[in-house]
Amino acid sequence: MAGPSGPKLILEGLKEAGIDLIATVPDINLRELLGLVEADDRVVHVPLCREEEGIGVCTGAYLVGKKCALIMQNGGLFNSVNGIVSTLIQFQVPLLLLIYYAGDLGDRTFSTTGAATEPVLNALGIRSTILREPDEAKDLIRRTQILTMDYKRPVAILLTKDVLGRRRPGE
Amino acid sequence: MKRIDCLRALAEVAGDALVVTSAGANGVEWNACRPSDGNIRCRTLGLTCSIALGIALGLPKRKVIALDGDGSLLMNLSALPTIANKNPPNLLHVVFDNEAYESSGEIKTATSFGTDLVGMARSAGIKNAVLAQTVEEFRKAASEALKGNVLTLIGAKIELARAEVPPYPMDEVESKYRFIRHVEKTEGIQILKIPMPASFQKS
Repeated sequence: MAGPSGPKLILEGLKEAGIDLIATVPDINLRELLGLVEADDRVVHVPLCREEEGIGVCTGAYLVGKKCALIMQNGGLFNSVNGIVSTLIQFQVPLLLLIYYAGDLGDRTFSTTGAATEPVLNALGIRSTILREPDEAKDLIRRTQILTMDYKRPVAILLTKDVLGRRRPGE
Repeated sequence: MKRIDCLRALAEVAGDALVVTSAGANGVEWNACRPSDGNIRCRTLGLTCSIALGIALGLPKRKVIALDGDGSLLMNLSALPTIANKNPPNLLHVVFDNEAYESSGEIKTATSFGTDLVGMARSAGIKNAVLAQTVEEFRKAASEALKGNVLTLIGAKIELARAEVPPYPMDEVESKYRFIRHVEKTEGIQILKIPMPASFQKS
């Protein structure tokens, strides 16, 4: 019998890591995860209209003691770059970025966005890990949260279709 | 109406509100009117009100003020519906509108061609969005917002004029730590936690 879904394990991992405010922008592949976030009373959910707003919201919440995560597609990472540089990195603010990796190997959408994703993260000095296996989600989130708090910079986890339960046969 | 006169009026009623200012003269002038570790100056054009939203959601019982500009808000208009949706009653969003990118060569912004930011805020769902045309109107609106418990946006049309004030006294990282320590002290909470070295752990 299959265990809990990837999105369930991701949200459990976030809560176990102390995350209590999650800002999000939707993607069809994030639908289950965002639905779980919205339904959970133990986290403050901030649905955004554009991802860079989330850099501001999470920075403000961090300054007063919240632990935050920003969930978005990789196109949203590109929308956020000025905020990442001149707010997160310039003020040394930790932030867990959970980024749906559109255009990942075998993912038949946004291959151009996929191709630019890791080079952009590298150019910004953002350490990142690709998450493919649902049963690795909780441990990776726990350890990435420790890293971002100690490093005081954003750190990213790239969420693939595999872990989001959205990989179709043949992909 | 000059921004510095509005800021002086606001300083009289702001109490211990946490204040996020936009980049440019706004933050420097505010820090001269109310010097405090409870001020933080945003460095990304547009993110002032989003940072203030995060603070307001994190500390729902503390008054939070965003001191924004027209150029800044125009860069982050999508924040208005987000703020309206979360509807934090402890947030006062002030938008000083001099119809120009004052710090970027005084080039005109869209508000100089008729864009109405107060109207846009209202249409985004911020019901209590008002325009102040005199310093007295501004003082009254700010005072009511800080005494009350309703999300408020005040638009203030101001002259393109900078006041003679000292430079900002610190860089971003020092400002961050001082702001967090100020919140810890005034709220009686611990935010920054440094773990004990590994050698202290019992095996």
